[in-house]
Amino acid sequence: MNEPLSIIDLVTNASIVVQCVMAILVLASMVSWVMIFQRGFSLSSIKRESIAFEDEFWSGKDLRKIYLEIEASEREPVGMELIFVAGFKEFTRLRQQKEADPDRIMQSVQRAMRVALLREEERMETSLPFLATVGSTSPYIGLFGTVWGIMNSFRGLATVNQASLSVVAPGISEALVATAIGLFAAIPAVIAYNRFAAQVEVIVNRLDAFTDEFSGILYRGIRRQD
Amino acid sequence: MSSIRTYIVPAVLALAVHVGVITLLLVNWDEAAPSASAAVEHYYIKAALVAENPHKVKQQKLADAALQRRQAKARLAKQRDAARRAQLDQDAKVKADLAAKASQAAKKSRLETMLAAAQQAEEKRAEEKLAQEAKEAKVATEQDLARALSEEQDYRLAVTDDEKAMAYVSQIQREIIQNWSRPPSARNGMQVLLTVFLVPTGEVVDVTLKTSSGNEAFDRSAMLAVRKAERFIVPTNSAQFERNFREFEVMFRPEDLRL
Repeated sequence: MNEPLSIIDLVTNASIVVQCVMAILVLASMVSWVMIFQRGFSLSSIKRESIAFEDEFWSGKDLRKIYLEIEASEREPVGMELIFVAGFKEFTRLRQQKEADPDRIMQSVQRAMRVALLREEERMETSLPFLATVGSTSPYIGLFGTVWGIMNSFRGLATVNQASLSVVAPGISEALVATAIGLFAAIPAVIAYNRFAAQVEVIVNRLDAFTDEFSGILYRGIRRQD
Repeated sequence: MSSIRTYIVPAVLALAVHVGVITLLLVNWDEAAPSASAAVEHYYIKAALVAENPHKVKQQKLADAALQRRQAKARLAKQRDAARRAQLDQDAKVKADLAAKASQAAKKSRLETMLAAAQQAEEKRAEEKLAQEAKEAKVATEQDLARALSEEQDYRLAVTDDEKAMAYVSQIQREIIQNWSRPPSARNGMQVLLTVFLVPTGEVVDVTLKTSSGNEAFDRSAMLAVRKAERFIVPTNSAQFERNFREFEVMFRPEDLRL
């Protein structure tokens, strides 16, 4: 009794239910951190690539050349490149058919680009729902563990005729560890979710704008040739 | 697949974050935890002092008995080991026999024998016991071992009962402190050790001064505090009472004074 309780003791002495809760929360925290890092890297790389591509696009280079370069490069096109590739591919395909109507060409090019945009958006938002779930539920899971632990330690108190704080204190301390872990899992998840959701929105807006700009350019191109 | 590859670095980083947090927690935990020093003084009460010695001879005797008992208590852990060894090991029996003989020889000077045997509580008790029983019979060794065994079991129970006992102890402390009025001559750092004797109903039958503070008024105030309490709430379980409350010590030590 004279030894201060170590955190390991607190975890190992906890009841099975509380331990399960702790295990779930630790797992959730692990997975959400994996998601946080993975999302962080992939979103920042999409942003970077998009900016780089935009610079290239507006540099006045021949669009066909840019397209061929992207096709030739080994890595998968992301973000703006993907939309550009989808739109340009559709455009060249339809242009080869002689009697194509410019408006119809533009419609299907825009459709192709919108599909690519939606796919990209979906891909960027992978695992964001998971982060949202962890952020909103893990405090409750932790709280459940705590309530359960406290329930048990008070039930133990009922059988002791001289109630003293030292009888219940370890149990409560154990139980509170569950809430602590729950908060530890939830806080980064909520922060990351908000941050990533905002980032995705910014990127999607950019892509949207680019889609419009690009279709404008293509439309002008068709008109000039006509 | 490339999508799986993109998860490897994040997974490693996430693991690193968790390991880091857990390590920090483990390192800082002990410092953050409140020190357990308060718990060390379980059986002491911080309070005042004494200086009278009414019936000196009787008190001396009682003090001696208390000393022995306390020593035995203090070495309970050792004692347990020793007891187990004695049980398991035939050697222990031989040793005890030897001890018995030795104690017979030293019967006249029992006190010295005890001091010599003080190293091992088990041996000591064997000697004590045998020194008395040798008068009646020399074959007390087995009995002694049995007693050691049962005491060991009692001790195990005592450990589980410790927490319960603590509740009573703190209540007794509170009661004594309530009744304690310190004399003006009390100073920080003074300390008085009293031995209190209770009957199973919790009534105080005797209070003796074990260690005086050197200040008579302070000593007297401490003894008065215990006597005024008259009756403490003690465990109804008689084994527990015998173990912790039949006779216990109270330490009075003012710490909140300005002088």
